[in-house]
Amino acid sequence: MNPLALERPSRWRAFGVAGVFALALLPSFPLLREAASGQRGLGTFPATLWQSFGLATASAALGFAAGLPLGVTAALYSFPGRRALLALASLPLLVPSLLWAVGWSALLARVAPGPLPGAAACVVVFATTAIPLVLLTAWASTAALGAGQVEAARLAGGEAVLVRSACRHAAVPALLAAGLAGVLVLSDPAPGQIFGQRTAAAEILVSFAALFDFGLAARQGLALAALVLVLAAPLAAVAAPRLAAAVLPRAIRPLRPVWHREMAALAAGGLLVFVGIGVAAPLAGLALPALRGTALARAGSEVVETLGNTAIYGLGAGALAAVLGLLLAALAGRSSRLRTAVLALSFLLLALPSALPSLGLLRWSGEVPAALAPVFHSRFTVCVALGLRFLPVATLLALRGWASTSPTWAWAAELHGVSLGRYLARVLAPRLAPAVATGLVLVGLLSAADVGTVLLLHPPGQRSLPLAIFTVMANAPEALVASLCLLYVVGAGALLAALPWLAGRRL
Amino acid sequence: MTVSLRPKTLTPGPSPTRTPARPGEGKLPALRQAVAALALAGWVLLAGCGREEPEGGAGAEPQGPVVVYSSVDDVFARPVAQRFQEETGIEVRLVPDTEETKSTGLLNRLIAEKERPQADVFWSGDPVRAAVLKRRGLSASYRSPAATGLPPRFSDPEGHWTGFSARARVLIYNREKVPEEQAPDSIFDLVEPRFRGQACIANPLFGTTSMHAAALFAALGEQRARQLFEDFTANGGRIVSSNGEVRRRVANGECTVGITDTDDANVARLEGKPVGIVFPDADGIGTLIIPNAAVLIAGAPHPEAGRRFIDFLLAPETEKALAASEAAQMPVRPGLPPPAGLPALAGLKAMEVDYGGLAALLEELSRGFLKEWVDRNSG
Repeated sequence: MNPLALERPSRWRAFGVAGVFALALLPSFPLLREAASGQRGLGTFPATLWQSFGLATASAALGFAAGLPLGVTAALYSFPGRRALLALASLPLLVPSLLWAVGWSALLARVAPGPLPGAAACVVVFATTAIPLVLLTAWASTAALGAGQVEAARLAGGEAVLVRSACRHAAVPALLAAGLAGVLVLSDPAPGQIFGQRTAAAEILVSFAALFDFGLAARQGLALAALVLVLAAPLAAVAAPRLAAAVLPRAIRPLRPVWHREMAALAAGGLLVFVGIGVAAPLAGLALPALRGTALARAGSEVVETLGNTAIYGLGAGALAAVLGLLLAALAGRSSRLRTAVLALSFLLLALPSALPSLGLLRWSGEVPAALAPVFHSRFTVCVALGLRFLPVATLLALRGWASTSPTWAWAAELHGVSLGRYLARVLAPRLAPAVATGLVLVGLLSAADVGTVLLLHPPGQRSLPLAIFTVMANAPEALVASLCLLYVVGAGALLAALPWLAGRRL
Repeated sequence: MTVSLRPKTLTPGPSPTRTPARPGEGKLPALRQAVAALALAGWVLLAGCGREEPEGGAGAEPQGPVVVYSSVDDVFARPVAQRFQEETGIEVRLVPDTEETKSTGLLNRLIAEKERPQADVFWSGDPVRAAVLKRRGLSASYRSPAATGLPPRFSDPEGHWTGFSARARVLIYNREKVPEEQAPDSIFDLVEPRFRGQACIANPLFGTTSMHAAALFAALGEQRARQLFEDFTANGGRIVSSNGEVRRRVANGECTVGITDTDDANVARLEGKPVGIVFPDADGIGTLIIPNAAVLIAGAPHPEAGRRFIDFLLAPETEKALAASEAAQMPVRPGLPPPAGLPALAGLKAMEVDYGGLAALLEELSRGFLKEWVDRNSG
């Protein structure tokens, strides 16, 4: 096998992609089987799904409208505290939406007591996640432009034309990110439950937790996934070619953000407004009780007790997702059709309720030979379930990383008789390392923040920190809950600060 | 003038002269970081695999550990588990849950693990979950010698679950907004005009609120119970996510009255919130009492240790400890002191309830009226 094997089109690529996604869907199989064999019917679910679709669309639209200009201007212009503001703006991605919803609910109860309009409150919380997702995508996409291109646009029409053109350039990946945020909205039950809003994810939760009807829950999950697939396919088709195009600008002189008084003020002001409203406000709602209590020491001991497991779940899931994501990117290669399929299937995977694979794995654990059962009841399985759940995130990053390599390198390696191993180690691996490392860290952080999967699968006595927060939230003193939340947010912020180092300062 | 930044139009195809970045150049530190991170993660994955020793044969001294799934709030269950561990030397591995509405819940985990159970004991915060386990063939019968003195009406007649320390469903009101003389004393007061738009309850599809709803259907009959729910929403009553949320909203005045559990109400009291507690319907259907339930799981991996843990839970000392804790659980065993600030169970008029029968009724209501009512009145 030589380096060109990585570039040649072949039928095994499609089989490989299908194999990886089959592996990712395998844990859900027992419940999907139950859905097929049980009673038919979805009850009132289609109407709720439609309602949720409205919420997801509104949140994604808000995320796109705010995140795109914020990301583009943050990439084009420099201003004091830029990195810190970007890190703060990214925080909502790494903290369970449950905490933001509780924070908003607590804050609004203090400043404006009265009934909350559920739909509006949900959109605010969901947009808090959607905006940074779009923002970071637009930022990365703009930062990948060449300095020459930016200078040409600036010379041609000034800053307004530059920003407009850069927004046009970043619009497709930003749209993809907004779509991703919309999918996450569809599968997140917590804000709807807190604000009394009917959502599809909450309805699936009711089927699980109130009716104990796994078959109905699985059918509802499939209906949700089908809707996502129908909507995601055209989006993926638009986005896939752009992932390949990303190679060209990255091979030229990189863009450096410049100081421009008005534009820098706009960019910094926009970020400040988002950080103030999207991060500081709900955080204040969470943190106010902590200021009145003396629970930090108790919270600290909880953190110490759960930190090891949280790290294991995060790192294990991140590593698995990074490796599988890279494999998917390599399998999709330069084929636009395969990239479209990978993107669409990634959306589908993300849309499935996390309880489906978790409960499926528990079913598997009862059916496998006894010698294998301990593996299913270990932290390893938690890592696998989380890694497969967030595989789409690592896949997106790996696809982009793969697109930043040139097929001519493989040709050159072949010409000079370089072995595949040497080519992988000396050429591809260094180039792909930042994308893989970023995928590992992002999936790690998302996994570390997970509650649903960890609750169902964690081995007895091996809680994670978010699970600890979740299980004391109802009845522990407010000060303790607030202190735990604060420590969690501070920890996530510290990890975010480490992200540029892990990504080789390329982000 | 139109400017496009699309690479297709501005940048020609890759050529050797326009590709200054030689692959791999200057990237080794990043590669090392990625390899190091992957290696660490791989080690972590391997470290995550563990194997646990099974317990000795029947009649052997329990070696433990004992795996306890608990739907009792973690802050209350953990100290009890620690005390058991200190006294017996048997390690307790606690898997906590919550009655909140935000997760799939431990009962589903137990159901999914039916073929090869991992739990030895399910410490349920209410007897209905325990009854669901019995209905699904997941529990084993165990009549603990420590259950002596516990009233049989709080336990399964066949020994599949045994009730001990109890909570009650209580009315709470904001003392700054509701004068003492206007305080509610019946759940029917929540539909009175004086509380229009000011009452809240937790989602009746989940937790103890679901059990309360089923108990009301059993006690009042379907017609009156349905009417009560309809009147509640007609009076502007609100459905919130959990009993803790009811406590929070009443404490800060967002709602002035609500129904919650005694442990939630006690937390508000300990935090100095202006919350009054009423045991409702002393002259009517009575207050719903919700005992904890200890269940031995059928096919438990450590049955002897599980039995020891159940014995410990059912002992008078545990009832006393739970009464003295923040949980303020009321001992069901006659003669034990009640929690501070709460009456003894014997002094309350308790709602007449067949706890085992509620499980079937609840499943029926959750698929029917309650689901439809929640759908209609949220979002």
